[in-house]
Amino acid sequence: MTQHVSEKDVRAIAEYARIGLTDEELPAMTEDLNAIIESLKPITEYDLEGVEPTFHPVGDLSNVMREDVEGTSFTQEEALSNAPKQQDGSFLIPSILGGGEA
Amino acid sequence: MKTMEEVLKDWEAVIGLEVHCELTKLNTKMFCGCKLEFGAEPNTHTCPVCLGLPGALPVPNKAAIENIVLAGLATNCDIEKHTMFYRKGYMYPDMAKNFQTTQGPKAFCMRGWLDLNVDGKGASERPIMAQLEEGESAENVTRTAEGYTARVGITRIHMEEDAGKMIHMGGGEGRISGATHSLVDYNRAGTPLIELVTEPDLRTPEEARLFMQKLRQIFLALGISDCSMEEGSLRADGNISLRRRGTTQFGTKTELKNINSFKSLHDGLAYEICRQAEVLEEGGIIYQETRHWDPSAKRTIVMRVKETADDYRMFPDPDLAPYDLSDEFIEAVRAKLPELPDQKAARFVESFGLSGYDSRQLVENMATADFFEACMLDADAKLAKPLANLINNDIAALMNADQDFDLASSSLTPARAVALVDLVAKDAISSKQGKEVFAAILEEDKDPAAIVEERGMKQVSDTGAIEAVVDEVLAANPDKVEQYKGGKTGLIGFFVGQCMKAMKGQGNPKLINQMLSQKLEG
Amino acid sequence: MDFACMGVDAIQAGLRAGDFSATEVAQSSLDRIERIDGSVNAFLEVTPELALAKAAEVDKAIAEGTFDQMGPLAGVPVAFKDNMNQIGTHTTCASRMLENYVSPYTATCVQKVIDAGGLPLGKLNMDEFAFGSTTETSAFGTTKNPWGTDRVPGGSSGGSAAAVAAGLATVTLGSDTGGSIRQPASFCGVVGVKPTYGAVSRYGVVAFGSSLDQVGPFARNVRDAALTLNALCGRDPLDCTSQACDFDFTANLDQGVEGMKVGIVPAFLDAEGLDREVRNAVMGAADKLASLGAEIVEIELPNAQAAISAYYVLAPCEAFSNLSRFDSVRYGYCDPGHKDLGGQYEASRAQGFGVEARRRIMLGSYLLSSGVYDKYYYPAQQIRTLITQDYLNAYQKVDVILSPIAPSVAWKFGAVSDPTSMYLADMFTISINIAGNGGMNLPVGLGEDSGMPVGVQLIAPPFKDANMLRAAAALEREYQCVGVAPDFAGEAAVKGGE
Repeated sequence: MTQHVSEKDVRAIAEYARIGLTDEELPAMTEDLNAIIESLKPITEYDLEGVEPTFHPVGDLSNVMREDVEGTSFTQEEALSNAPKQQDGSFLIPSILGGGEA
Repeated sequence: MKTMEEVLKDWEAVIGLEVHCELTKLNTKMFCGCKLEFGAEPNTHTCPVCLGLPGALPVPNKAAIENIVLAGLATNCDIEKHTMFYRKGYMYPDMAKNFQTTQGPKAFCMRGWLDLNVDGKGASERPIMAQLEEGESAENVTRTAEGYTARVGITRIHMEEDAGKMIHMGGGEGRISGATHSLVDYNRAGTPLIELVTEPDLRTPEEARLFMQKLRQIFLALGISDCSMEEGSLRADGNISLRRRGTTQFGTKTELKNINSFKSLHDGLAYEICRQAEVLEEGGIIYQETRHWDPSAKRTIVMRVKETADDYRMFPDPDLAPYDLSDEFIEAVRAKLPELPDQKAARFVESFGLSGYDSRQLVENMATADFFEACMLDADAKLAKPLANLINNDIAALMNADQDFDLASSSLTPARAVALVDLVAKDAISSKQGKEVFAAILEEDKDPAAIVEERGMKQVSDTGAIEAVVDEVLAANPDKVEQYKGGKTGLIGFFVGQCMKAMKGQGNPKLINQMLSQKLEG
Repeated sequence: MDFACMGVDAIQAGLRAGDFSATEVAQSSLDRIERIDGSVNAFLEVTPELALAKAAEVDKAIAEGTFDQMGPLAGVPVAFKDNMNQIGTHTTCASRMLENYVSPYTATCVQKVIDAGGLPLGKLNMDEFAFGSTTETSAFGTTKNPWGTDRVPGGSSGGSAAAVAAGLATVTLGSDTGGSIRQPASFCGVVGVKPTYGAVSRYGVVAFGSSLDQVGPFARNVRDAALTLNALCGRDPLDCTSQACDFDFTANLDQGVEGMKVGIVPAFLDAEGLDREVRNAVMGAADKLASLGAEIVEIELPNAQAAISAYYVLAPCEAFSNLSRFDSVRYGYCDPGHKDLGGQYEASRAQGFGVEARRRIMLGSYLLSSGVYDKYYYPAQQIRTLITQDYLNAYQKVDVILSPIAPSVAWKFGAVSDPTSMYLADMFTISINIAGNGGMNLPVGLGEDSGMPVGVQLIAPPFKDANMLRAAAALEREYQCVGVAPDFAGEAAVKGGE
């Protein structure tokens, strides 16, 4: 089977998507992805010369905007209601650069 | 390290700017109806959309789109037909959706430009200037009497949204490095943001500084933003690379971020020019890195890279409709364009006979421009130049010294300014006395005439009286007269000073000077 | 009485006549769920307070004589797929990632159904984040097909389909990105409608494939589905892609199909892997329509095959982007004990997402990367143009299209487990999402080989969903209305089914 992505590529993809991938999971994920990408091969073989892309299925959708008028906002409590960790009305996260506190 | 002047003899600096401007004058955010408010309690202006809750959808703010079109029209851009919003993906905690809704290859505004007037000392940063005669052009520059004009291309202005704010705890001075944890506030997340990217047409730090100043003037005149670098509603990043003079290939550029004043922009770029030259001249290579300017250390420092990926996985946002702005929409916005600073300056030159230089200084600030016009409503045409000088020198100095000084509400009214300038113009008082009166108007909140009266100021312009004093002074200093006649013409200052002393400061210095010259030449 | 086994008209007639109260309807439905749902596992959360509160409101209106102003679903037991935000419920998307997420806001479609008088019974099981066609990827257990509890209900709206098939609700809402309403409807023998993209607001429905997702109703008859569409459709200022609609979907249900042109696609009917009993059901439906006065026209959809590849590019790309927001910061699963954010991101997302979700995110991330985007994503959007045009060309000749929904009836658990063959099973439904058209399932009885429900798909031109409802209603009159699955209807309901 064609290898579209190597294990190294898959590691990089996982890192970008911020999903932890163990060494045990890597081979299976690599195989799965390669199989799926291979199944997408027909798309690369179509003659699409001169065909405009359609990014939005509702054909004549355009210029949708709203007036600059205030709507309803959450209270601070509502905004934080699902926060895994919070402090002083803010969402609390550990060190962005590493070396922080849990 | 060499000085910048030395470096720029052999190297050409290629500078581009990325400017972000928050549309702070709007009521609500870009994609939801949450209120825009600086300094509110954390997370009190959020909703499913700007908090990135699952299932939330964006709806663009029409006034924001009008504002970006306004900005584009004011900077000579084409308003692009058929544009879309794109998703720019990267994971960072201040990003509620972990993608930023921004624009792709086609922005609302494309292919604009601004002309800069670079005068005085700052003009000397640009080497080509010295080689040109007034009116001559080369590179993107045309020589003028005071310096040069340069056209700077604007690649695009696009619409996007700002991220939330973070406070870093546990490190030094709230810096991110060394922080043990951070607090995230999404009040700012979703604030409408326009990003303006220039062509790499800037060649000196002064040009970059002036570009920012001009842009700020224009955006303030348009009324779309507070344009405060301190509050972060106006932000600038610079890209800078060097290449040997005479070559056309671009060098590797570094990005300068975290700039919080126009001065820092200037100084940071100046430093980079010297730093890069030193590296290159020693045979080293420039790394494509992000640096920030440290104003106390007076150098740029490599920043930690915020997010490793350059590849943002951009694709058109399926939740947002494409935009095909009609001519009606664009013309309705164009009708809202106020008189822009350049237009106002041109009008001052035309109507009041001011020099380009003076006019440009007046319009640097709406307050001074408005003040000048208010003065000229009642003032004699010949007072235009003295008024411009008063505003550009004395009032400007005041405004620079005190950030909170509000000209419009001060005791220095247009009527008083006109009266003051008139007194000096007709020699009723000397210009030195005029400065005293100026200060007194502000301190005592009185009319110039009243101050002059109270302080018994007047200027003696009686030629007879002056002649008498001049004769006395010359007679009392024969040796200096000899020296003067021998070539030391600088001694005129001594004689003028002696005469003024004799007249207790009330002599008209112009006439004294004239009389002295006459007597000494004769 | 088992009210949840009754249709809208019957319930409302009884309420008007004073035969029973809305509170009785609600309580009886809740009791039935408690007795029976153990064998189906359609519900992830049951909301007694919300149902009884709404029922009290309905009873008050009946007392005050304002019942008829309440809306098309007044007093009707309803439930919502668990990817729809509803204040007072968890909205888990059947994922560990959102196991403890409590909705602070309500989706427009949910609010509309409640405002139309529906009694909200709870939230329904699904494939995790709608990634799947069997509801097996749910982190909270599989849902059983009420027609054979050793068989899959289909997916991703398996809970929504099964709840209606087992008489646990009269009407449910599901979402359809590549067939997730229509296919489970056909597997469970119920009516399932995916309206034209943009007909129903997506605000508050957790996004999977933003340019493909659409919300729609499950019911046991066409009229109940049409009544629900009346409640659901219309422009929502909170969703840029939603469109205005002032059409009454019940208006032409009795019109019959005299003079209607019905398209059939020979390429679909001759497709390899299409089971005989399904093919026969579709041909049977075509014959019935012809006998009712419709003209059967052969049409071609030359690019329909390309739809599968286009879908498996577009859907993962949009999913990857839509799922980026799940990062343990504002809500959702947060893996404990991390001193650095990067580690917290990676562990939370690895633990919170199931394997299919992770696969799709990775695939989407790959397909959008620079260099790869031009090879797959951009062509997929070009193919979208071709498929949309194919359908528009077809609609020059026909008013509605008749086709199979899935290559087979519901299979037994464990029978199909390899990712690529699961993907093939979406063959007949996917191109409709790509083009944004409306499609629906009409159950036409039981397959002669399997004894399991078979459905046929009717596809309508954009914003002419009435065409498919009209044809479906006409066909429905020809087939015996199956209603609630036998193991759960009548006396069997007391035993709780097999």
